[in-house]
Amino acid sequence: MQALRSYRLLVTWQSLRKKAYLPLMMAVQTLFSLGIVLGYPLLFPTLDRTTIYLIATGAPAISMVSVGLVALPQTVGEAKSEGSLAYMRSLPVPRLAYLVADLTVWLAIVVPGVVLGVLVGAWRFGLDLQVSPLVIPAVVMVALTATCVGYALASVLPYMLTVIITQAIVVFVFMFSPLTFLPDKLPAWLETIHRLLPIQAMGEVTRGTIAPNEFPLPPGAFLTLAVWCVLGFLVTYAAMTRRA
Amino acid sequence: MLLEIENLKKVFRSGVRANDGIDLSIDSGEVFGLLGHNGAGKTTLVNQVIGLLKPTDGSIRIDRRDMIADPGLARRLCSFQAQSQVPIDGLTPRQAIELLGQLRGAAGADVRRRRARLVDALDLGEWLDVDAARLSGGVKRLVAFAMAAVAPGRLVMLDEPTNDVDPIRRRLLWQQVRSLADEGAAVLLVTHNVVEAERSVDRLAILDAGHVITEGTPAELKARLGAELRLELVVDPRATELPVSPFGRSAVPVGNRLMVGVPMDAAGPAVGWAESLQRAGAVEEFTLGPATLEDVYVAMVGGLEVRPAEMEESFDASAA
Repeated sequence: MQALRSYRLLVTWQSLRKKAYLPLMMAVQTLFSLGIVLGYPLLFPTLDRTTIYLIATGAPAISMVSVGLVALPQTVGEAKSEGSLAYMRSLPVPRLAYLVADLTVWLAIVVPGVVLGVLVGAWRFGLDLQVSPLVIPAVVMVALTATCVGYALASVLPYMLTVIITQAIVVFVFMFSPLTFLPDKLPAWLETIHRLLPIQAMGEVTRGTIAPNEFPLPPGAFLTLAVWCVLGFLVTYAAMTRRA
Repeated sequence: MLLEIENLKKVFRSGVRANDGIDLSIDSGEVFGLLGHNGAGKTTLVNQVIGLLKPTDGSIRIDRRDMIADPGLARRLCSFQAQSQVPIDGLTPRQAIELLGQLRGAAGADVRRRRARLVDALDLGEWLDVDAARLSGGVKRLVAFAMAAVAPGRLVMLDEPTNDVDPIRRRLLWQQVRSLADEGAAVLLVTHNVVEAERSVDRLAILDAGHVITEGTPAELKARLGAELRLELVVDPRATELPVSPFGRSAVPVGNRLMVGVPMDAAGPAVGWAESLQRAGAVEEFTLGPATLEDVYVAMVGGLEVRPAEMEESFDASAA
């Protein structure tokens, strides 16, 4: 009961703190999706059917990854360096309640961008998407994994290093991750790396549930995400409860 | 005693011995000041009590219960105002104070009543429903205090609560600190503002390089200094040598000032000596007054090591 009450109050606190940024975050995410969906056809005027579907389903995936692995670690890192994370840790609430409350608010920030991304993509390319009901667990899983891994990054690394690494992640996610293209386009060594990282699985479950008629849903993708999600959560929780 | 700290040691991985065998105890109803300049180990001590840092050695007990073994209990028994600003941008003071009260487990009606009382007492009414992002640093600091005081624990720890607060509201704040103790809490007040501490604390300890170098009531500490009066000489900045005190007491240089301890019965000769120095041009001006806690502090911690900015702040506060 105590944990639930704390959770509810902390969700209120964190959403009030972020409410000023919410419209901005939504705008940025929509621009992300718009940029991808409207920009690719400018680069490549003739797009085949598969590529169009890849772009339309890759945009929401990129949107989730960029919030979880870029915006979140930067915000958490800043909170860590300015001491506000220590203040939250000094409150008489279960650390788990704090962490889950913060993740809840981040998930709420991610979802509008995802929905907008899909809608804009479908409208721009005139797609008839047969969205699978699995899209809900897929989006939750992708967003949760991205936020947990992002949180773990910020918890473990010094702030400045977090900022530098998240900048590198932006380039890596946009240019060298199989979200808007299939992994076989990558050089063999990078393909191997992506089999271990969670980003490829994020792309697979997103497109496999938004456009199930176009793309298969590899059976192991959810499992890969679950492993990364639990790992990220445990690292974050350990950092949150650690007394240096 | 409510809070009992014994032989507390904290050695960081860098090798810094931030706390080096600290013994302290604070009782309910008492305002206890922890003084010392930056890097003395004050915040490290507080962070160990609240369970953010783990001591290298020693014990911390509240109500005879081991806080090192149960940091969750420590957070429930202590309320805490951190030195850094609280993360409340986006919330109004009303929301922030009430949320904190509820998070500390108090009932909604009690929280609202106490919030109203604190907002009145600290004269924060005009900002009650303004987004904290638009508040000045001083007002935010007062809101942070109200957050620590709205549903206080058995021990209330305040780390530099008056930073950035205007002189009028500082007084209001000190009254509320006293109320917390009167209502039965033990208050641990961390500050480097010696002048304010003298007026507000029941007992204090001075921390230097991780050690408690003295502890007692402000009156006891002044008596221990052995000088009832303080002669403050403003020395000619071009002078190559400082005047030598004929009173055999402490004489501590602070910037271009020399603080000389003087026994009560030597007030006349002290003024005579100072006048002769002034006539000789070695001293620009002088004042003779009762010794203050600041003199004890400066004598014990060492005038030259006190950073000028901190001394200026103390002087400003005394002027206010």
